[in-house]
Amino acid sequence: MADKAILYDATRCTACRGCQAACKQWNENDEAIPETENGVKSVNRGSYENPPDLSPRTWLKMEFREVERDGKVDWLFTRRACMHCTDAACVKVCPSGALYHDERGFVAYNKDLCTGCGYCADFCPFDVPRSDRNWLTGVAKMDKCVLCTTPGLNRLDEGLEPACVKTCPPKALLYGDRDALVAEGKQRVQALQANGNSSATLYGENELGGLHVLYVLADSPETYGLPVNPQVPAMATAWQDIIQPLGWIVGGATIVGLGVNYLVAREAKISRDLPEKKEK
Amino acid sequence: MAREVERYRKPTRVLHWVHTGAFIALFLTGLVLFIPQLGVIAQDSWTRIIHRIGAIIFFIAPLIYLLRDRKTAIQGIKEAFKWGKEDLGWLKAAPRYYFLCDEEAMPPQPHMNTGQKLWWLMVIVFGAVFVLTGFIMWFFKAVAPAGLLQWMVFFHDTAFIATGAMLFVHIYLSIIHPLMRPAKTGAWSSMVRGKVSAEYAKSHHRKWYKEITKTTTSESK
Repeated sequence: MADKAILYDATRCTACRGCQAACKQWNENDEAIPETENGVKSVNRGSYENPPDLSPRTWLKMEFREVERDGKVDWLFTRRACMHCTDAACVKVCPSGALYHDERGFVAYNKDLCTGCGYCADFCPFDVPRSDRNWLTGVAKMDKCVLCTTPGLNRLDEGLEPACVKTCPPKALLYGDRDALVAEGKQRVQALQANGNSSATLYGENELGGLHVLYVLADSPETYGLPVNPQVPAMATAWQDIIQPLGWIVGGATIVGLGVNYLVAREAKISRDLPEKKEK
Repeated sequence: MAREVERYRKPTRVLHWVHTGAFIALFLTGLVLFIPQLGVIAQDSWTRIIHRIGAIIFFIAPLIYLLRDRKTAIQGIKEAFKWGKEDLGWLKAAPRYYFLCDEEAMPPQPHMNTGQKLWWLMVIVFGAVFVLTGFIMWFFKAVAPAGLLQWMVFFHDTAFIATGAMLFVHIYLSIIHPLMRPAKTGAWSSMVRGKVSAEYAKSHHRKWYKEITKTTTSESK
């Protein structure tokens, strides 16, 4: 199957956060609103952003940024969720195979297999995976955007779009074949550049082997709070591709070496003891 | 019955076996993370709970030993860091000794020979690495920067590979190697009953044997 993707056009987004709500509703991620004795407690964080961060029950969050561009204040919106990388650090380090690439190229998740080790969170270049962790026992289960493929709630297998895309009123989110969306994104970026946005970019085309969430941005990625040239942490590569194979080699060689030693030494001991016994 | 000499006192033996139990539990529950096919049995974090219980024993047991008898413990630890020219002699003789069972090739050894000392040193150094990196991953998982946690995983795994492989060597050289048979006279006996035959002490640790037979009361560690 050809790779699928989501295209997020930041210049069309109105930050209504309908996608956030649709994501929570479809994936049954109710979040308890903190209550006080007087009723609902509201917190002013100096922004329309809410909730404050991704969480095990918030897989998608819209970020608002106020930046100065050409001497004017500009209000920029960024979609924050799993980027579904091709070179996914989380898939690389997941020890139980709970995280894997599905046939669409997305980073799929078998939650049953998650042991709660948290390596995915430690190594994700976008800081996306979240879990509730018991600090004493270490019991945890990771959660992140699975693009509406949770068993029983699987939209994609039924031929539907992800809930966030379906609900987006200004059609700032599109779902489809990745190649087509890359072409569409490039066209939009060209149009933006022709309109005076000289730094307009398509983010995600080549980052980490190609993200499966593409961004049409009116400015540079860092203006939108996205990492420029994200990388799989070198430690993930060193650990998975060097240390672990080395571990198997060292362990295997040790056991084989000891076996060889046993055979040689036993022979030697027998032939050494033989003449002594004869003399007796 | 053949004459015997004491090699390990009871607290040392108890610590050895308690630590062995903890290490094997930690080893197996950690090994699960190296074999994706075994991920199924690690579901719902229960291997990680066992790993934590093992970690507590792994840390507390030596601590209790240290607090009970600081002098002996520090003496024992010092032994691991005492390296000299003698060790070169062991290294040169080791291939002939361990492969060809040529006992003449081996110069007289003290209480611990070079191989034992190396393992003991690894236990101390990597034990500290395990405890320190494990402590950070356990209690600072939610607050430590991701880069630090990545290094912790790296060092924890490196220590795991080094000590895991050496564990096999340790078991092999203690009870399986032809020169260590029959087990009831040698290393196995020293850790189970605390005693070895005088014959074994003479042939395997001549220097130590001479030391303890010089004084009238035979001391041991």
